[in-house]
Amino acid sequence: MGALIKKEIHAAVSQQEEGQYLTFLIGGEMFAISILGIKEIIEYGNLTTVPMMPDFIRGVINLRGAVVPVVDMSARFGRTASEVTRRSCIVIIEVEADDEKQDVGVVVDSVSEVLEIPAAEIEPAPSFGARIRADFISGMGKVNGKFVIILNADRVLSVDEMAMLSGASSTEIAQAELV
Amino acid sequence: MSLDLDQALQTYIAEARELLQDMEDSLLRLEVDPNDADTIGAIFRAAHTIKGSAGLFGLDPIVSFTHIVEDVLDRVRDGDVVIEANLIAVLLESGDHMLHLVDVVAAQGGQLDAEAIARESGLRVRLQAYQDDSEMSHAVQVETEIPLQSSGGGLVETDNWHISLRFGQNVMRDGMDPLSFLRYLSTLGEIVSITTMFDALPPADEMDAESCYLGFEIDFKSDADKATIAGVFEFAREGSLIHILPPHSKLTEYIELIRSLPESETRLGEILVTTGALTQQELEAGLSEQQTSARPDGSTTPLGEILVEQRSVEHEVVQAALDKQTQSKDSKNKENRYIRVHADKLDELINMVGELVIAGAGVSLLAQRVSDNGLQEATSVMSGLVEEIRDGALRLRMVPIGETFNRFQRVVRDVGRELGKDIELVITGADTELDKTVVEKIGDPLMHLVRNAMDHGIESASIRQSRGKSAKGTLRLNAYHDSGSIVIEIVDDGGGLNRDRILQKARERGLIAPNVTPPDHEIFNMIFEAGFSTAEAVTSISGRGVGMDVVKRNITALRGTVNLDSAVGQGTTVSIRLPLTLAIIDGFLVGVGKSSYIVPLDMVQECIELTENDRQLTRERSYLNLRGEVLPFVMLRDHFEVEGAGARRENVVVVTCAGQKAGLVVDELMGEFQTVIKPLGKIFSTLRGISGSTILGSGEVALILDVPSLVQQAVNRETHQVSTRQLTH
Repeated sequence: MGALIKKEIHAAVSQQEEGQYLTFLIGGEMFAISILGIKEIIEYGNLTTVPMMPDFIRGVINLRGAVVPVVDMSARFGRTASEVTRRSCIVIIEVEADDEKQDVGVVVDSVSEVLEIPAAEIEPAPSFGARIRADFISGMGKVNGKFVIILNADRVLSVDEMAMLSGASSTEIAQAELV
Repeated sequence: MSLDLDQALQTYIAEARELLQDMEDSLLRLEVDPNDADTIGAIFRAAHTIKGSAGLFGLDPIVSFTHIVEDVLDRVRDGDVVIEANLIAVLLESGDHMLHLVDVVAAQGGQLDAEAIARESGLRVRLQAYQDDSEMSHAVQVETEIPLQSSGGGLVETDNWHISLRFGQNVMRDGMDPLSFLRYLSTLGEIVSITTMFDALPPADEMDAESCYLGFEIDFKSDADKATIAGVFEFAREGSLIHILPPHSKLTEYIELIRSLPESETRLGEILVTTGALTQQELEAGLSEQQTSARPDGSTTPLGEILVEQRSVEHEVVQAALDKQTQSKDSKNKENRYIRVHADKLDELINMVGELVIAGAGVSLLAQRVSDNGLQEATSVMSGLVEEIRDGALRLRMVPIGETFNRFQRVVRDVGRELGKDIELVITGADTELDKTVVEKIGDPLMHLVRNAMDHGIESASIRQSRGKSAKGTLRLNAYHDSGSIVIEIVDDGGGLNRDRILQKARERGLIAPNVTPPDHEIFNMIFEAGFSTAEAVTSISGRGVGMDVVKRNITALRGTVNLDSAVGQGTTVSIRLPLTLAIIDGFLVGVGKSSYIVPLDMVQECIELTENDRQLTRERSYLNLRGEVLPFVMLRDHFEVEGAGARRENVVVVTCAGQKAGLVVDELMGEFQTVIKPLGKIFSTLRGISGSTILGSGEVALILDVPSLVQQAVNRETHQVSTRQLTH
């Protein structure tokens, strides 16, 4: 199995440190996600592509015997798919859908650090201007005088929505072929 | 404590369901052989146990209804009531109602709805016709017998039963609440007085809150007989001291009772006097008399022995005890043969074995790379063992199909009656085993097919006779193993399918072009298309055309196939072919581009190389000449839109599905592979053409191809392409 860069960070998290966020880069822009849902971060590799799926689903990986889907965050935002570099990582996040927990991997360009952002330093999401869907953003964190977009993992990685989109895209493909 | 009771209740519910199933089977057996005493006994015991345990849990609705059923069964057992068709019908319905009671009252803790109550009162009236005119006469008889049998010693005056209870310490740990026994006892009569005996209670610091230290002295007024009262405590008998003295027992018996109990004689005596079981004079007289004729080992003589000696124990009590003994012996045998295991534990084990298979494949791969002979030998021994473990683990989940088949005895009987047809169900191959998950899901499709065969397949008696067949129709359920799958056949000897009618209907619905006539078996299998019904009349049982397509869909979902064959005037055979297990399959590994795919091995017919000549032609057409046969194929590379240049060589995997051959063009053939199926997540729920995934020895994920849906996709695509081309031209 691939070497683990940082293994199971959440093990060290105690109750009161709710304001901890993992920051990472996607397309040169910094994003943050609450570390509560993050299970581990692994090296990018051994990915099996699944045919006939939309761009934002990169494929599946074998995570110690479990088959886990991997989502390209950049493509999910409607931008171009991330390019794989030496620093590319897969962040394994646990999301909840219909009371069922499912692990989803997310491809990011590189992982930066774990930050503490106090609640007072978090601004509500702007209704537009961030150039990603407003419901994906749970808030704007102020870090060293700069804004970091804190993502709402359950919305960005909504299994239902992604399943629906892939269903729609495969019929699109089918229709495109007909013309 | 309450948790234990909950668990016990769950056990009760499971047991009651099983007992009711047994009861139903036995009743159906009685229809064939009405005088089989063993079967009658089994039915009675089932009802008796259900009632008895229901009493323990205070499930009064079950107790009160089952009591009537038990009464009728008791009379059947005694030969007072003769088994006949109506009685069996009533008892079968009563069994259904009891099942409903168990579901509603015990499992959900709810109340019966109005409909069920109406049904129950209807059943009660019908059962009463078989019940004894006066339930009392039995008990009265007993009461008069006892004084006749007793000799000397003097009888005590009271006409109450006296019951001494000393519960075993473990009674609560075994999931029983002493109070529930008393509550159940009070349904049989009136508890005149009760004294709690807490002499066994240890000092507070030594006391274990989970142990029961209590005993009771009860005076009980009831017309029930001794076996019934003893039956109340049946479940606590083990480890507990229970003495039951009938009314007007001999004084000596009371004295023996006093001696056999752990508490001191005087204290017990006092209690018996204060509760009115004995008068002071009786007690004194008894004690002194007992002293004069005391045996050397006096108090250790078991009461039961004395009772038998004095011939005051009723014959029925002995009989009941014997019954009970054989019964517990039976259940012990069963326990020896079966262990109840939670299905989740088994699933977990199978999962782990799946992981082991994958890990083993990884080790073998590495060993091959290292090319160390000793290591390779060791891994091959290990692979052999792993394979055996896998087979063994999968076998744990295998259950015989007989249980599922037997359920249809009742269905055939009821539906036959409803339709006014005399139909016999013949079951063969009941021992054939298949995976439990498959068994659970095959019930509904089978039900549809059986009902269909009875409704449309088998003709009415008059038609049968006019066609020179016996008036009685035969429906056959058969199962057998055939090369890694199980085949289930539903065979009827009815009129067969009307080929022309199906053809006509299929043409009407545009499923078959007007000028084409496909072979017969294809026409017959049209009835599995959605909304396809040739029945002239819709009956309550079938004919709406929903069903057959659902049957097919359910079976396909289990990775199985269904096929239908029919001969006019001779009958119809539906064969369902199912994989033995859903967890692990034999796969054939192929490569396309950088990815690996698994084709289920049982679908692979052969592999051929795609010749240079054919490759040239693939631009224009998608079929091959396979030894004079036309073989349409799907280019997986194109179908899956794999990027990159094509491989230098390509191969064709020839697969069959639903009797149709097709080719899958792949780059590389990598051979057989033990495939542990891992479902793809919900994200991929809309994906067609891929049915799941597996993990290869290298740790990579490979996708399992869903061949039927792939072929279907290819068909759809081509149809659309052709039609759009026609439009544009």
